[in-house]
Amino acid sequence: MSDTAAAAKKEELVMEHLVSLTYKERLTPNLNRFVDQLLDGHLVGHKCPACGRVYLPPKGYCPMCVVATGESDEVEVSDHGIMTGFTIVTPVAYYGQQETQPFVHASVLLNGADTPLGGQDIIGIPHDQLRMGLRVRAVWKPKAERRIEGISNRGWGGLGSVIEAFEATGEPDAGPEEFKEHIF
Amino acid sequence: MPVSENDIAIIGFAQTPCVRDADASEVQLLVPTVSEAIAHAGIDRREIGFTCAGSCDYLTGGPFAFVSNLEAAGAWPPISESHVEADGAFAMYEAWMRLLEGDIELALAFGSGKSSPSNPAEVWPQQLDPYYLAPLGVDPISLAGIQARALIDSGKATERDFAEVVARSRRNAKDNPNAQLAGDVDVDALLAEPYVRAPLRKHDVPPISDGAVAVIMARGQRAKDLCSRPVWIRGIDHRIEAHQPGVRDITTSASTTLAARKAGYDGGPIDVVELSSTFSSQEVVLRDALGLSADANINPSGGPLAGNPIMAVGLVRIVEAAARIMNGSADRALAHATGGQLLQQNLVCLLEGE
Repeated sequence: MSDTAAAAKKEELVMEHLVSLTYKERLTPNLNRFVDQLLDGHLVGHKCPACGRVYLPPKGYCPMCVVATGESDEVEVSDHGIMTGFTIVTPVAYYGQQETQPFVHASVLLNGADTPLGGQDIIGIPHDQLRMGLRVRAVWKPKAERRIEGISNRGWGGLGSVIEAFEATGEPDAGPEEFKEHIF
Repeated sequence: MPVSENDIAIIGFAQTPCVRDADASEVQLLVPTVSEAIAHAGIDRREIGFTCAGSCDYLTGGPFAFVSNLEAAGAWPPISESHVEADGAFAMYEAWMRLLEGDIELALAFGSGKSSPSNPAEVWPQQLDPYYLAPLGVDPISLAGIQARALIDSGKATERDFAEVVARSRRNAKDNPNAQLAGDVDVDALLAEPYVRAPLRKHDVPPISDGAVAVIMARGQRAKDLCSRPVWIRGIDHRIEAHQPGVRDITTSASTTLAARKAGYDGGPIDVVELSSTFSSQEVVLRDALGLSADANINPSGGPLAGNPIMAVGLVRIVEAAARIMNGSADRALAHATGGQLLQQNLVCLLEGE
C-alpha cells in the first residue's frame, strides 16, 4: 500500500461526533436574592449562625458546620478587599477562547467575607507588580449596563457582568496574617 | 443468628421528597438529608469512618458538582471518602465493603440527582458506546420501548400487564409522602392513552425527578448499641452484562438472577420487594429474574414510577425496604438497584430484621 493510500484509509476511520447538551435552570433562592442585591450595588453574603463565617456568594448552608443558612443570616460586605492570589493566563486558541492577550485570574477576599471570589480581573497595575496582599476595590459597571450573565448555581464567582474588575487602591499591602486562612 | 463483627446493618436513613423541579441546588438537597440520616442513627458526624457518594455531573451540567455535594458530609474535619458515578446504592455497596475491612464502625452513603435542568433524551445517549449507539441518539425511552416490544412478542407480557403495574404503583404511592405521582387510576383508562414509544405510554415511563437520599451503616455490636432494630445486610452483590443491548436477551436479566443468588437470596419468603423497575415493563423482567411469586409485595412505596430521582432512586429502594424492617412491619426484604441501559448492571440487597 502506498503512503497516500494508507493515509486515506486512516482518515476513513475518523468519525465526527459533536455533542450538544442543553441545560435550563433557575437560580437557587439564595442566589436569586444575591443577584438582585448585586445589581443594586450591594454585596450580601450569609453569616453562619454557628461559626460566624461569611459566605459570598451565599451557598445557602455552611459546609464547615453543615447547617442551612437563609435570609435571616444575610450580611453586607465591603466592595474593598485583598487580592489573596493570582494567575496570569497566557491564552492558547482553544475552542471558545475569546482572549488573545495575557490576562489575570485573581482571588479577592472582600472585607467582611470569609470566602474569596475567584477568577476576578485586576486593573490599574502592571502584571509584573501583582502580589499577594494587594489591596483592591470593585469597579462597578454603570447600573444600566449591569447584567447577570455568568452567575450560575455552579458558584464559580462570575461577577464580571456587574463588577468590571478590581483595581489597586494604592494603600499599603495587607500582611499575610490578614488573609492566610482564606487563600484559594 | 448471633451478631458477628462482620455483620453490617443499616441504622439510619433519610430522603427528600421526589419533585419535578427542586428550588434548591443538589448540595442543598443533600445538606438536610445527610444531617437527618446522621440524627436518625443517633451518631455524631465526626464518628463516621468512611463516606461514599453516588451522583452524575451530567444531570445538572455542573463540572465537579460531585465535589461540592461532599460539603453535605461536612468540610471539616477531613474525612475518608469516595465517589461512584452511579446510583447511591452502588456507593452503599462500596461503603459496606469498606466496613468489612473491620477497622471502622460507621459509614455514610448517599445518592443525589437533579434531572430537572437537563434534557434526559440528550444526556443519556452519552453513556452509550460512541461508535454505534451514541451517534444515533438512542434515548432511554426508545430503548425501553424496544424491550417492552420484545416482552410482548415473546409472550411474557401484555400492554395490560404494564398498565396494571402502573395502577398498583400509583395506588401504593398514596401512602408515600415522598412520592411525586400517586392516586387511583383505572387500567382501561390508562390503555386508552396514546403511545409515547409504542408499546409504552407516558405512564409506563418514570417521571423526571429531583431528590436525594442518605444511609448510615454500622458494624457488629455497634449497630445493636445504636439501634433497637438494626436492618442487617445479609448479602449485597452486583453483576454487569454486555454493554450492547443487541447481544443479550433483553427480556431476561441474568445479572439480576446472579446478583440475587450471590447476595444469598434462596427463594424463601420475602415480605417486601423494592425494585428499580424504572419502566413498568421492566418489573416483568425483574420479577422473572428474581423468581418472585405472583402475590409478592412489590414496590409498596410506589417504586420509580412514583418518583425517579436518578442516582438516588436505587438507594431509595433500599431505604424503603429498610424502613419497613426497622418499624417491624417486615422481617425480610429484597431491594434492587440498576445502572446503564436496559438493566445492564444490577445490584441486589437482602435485608433482615432479627
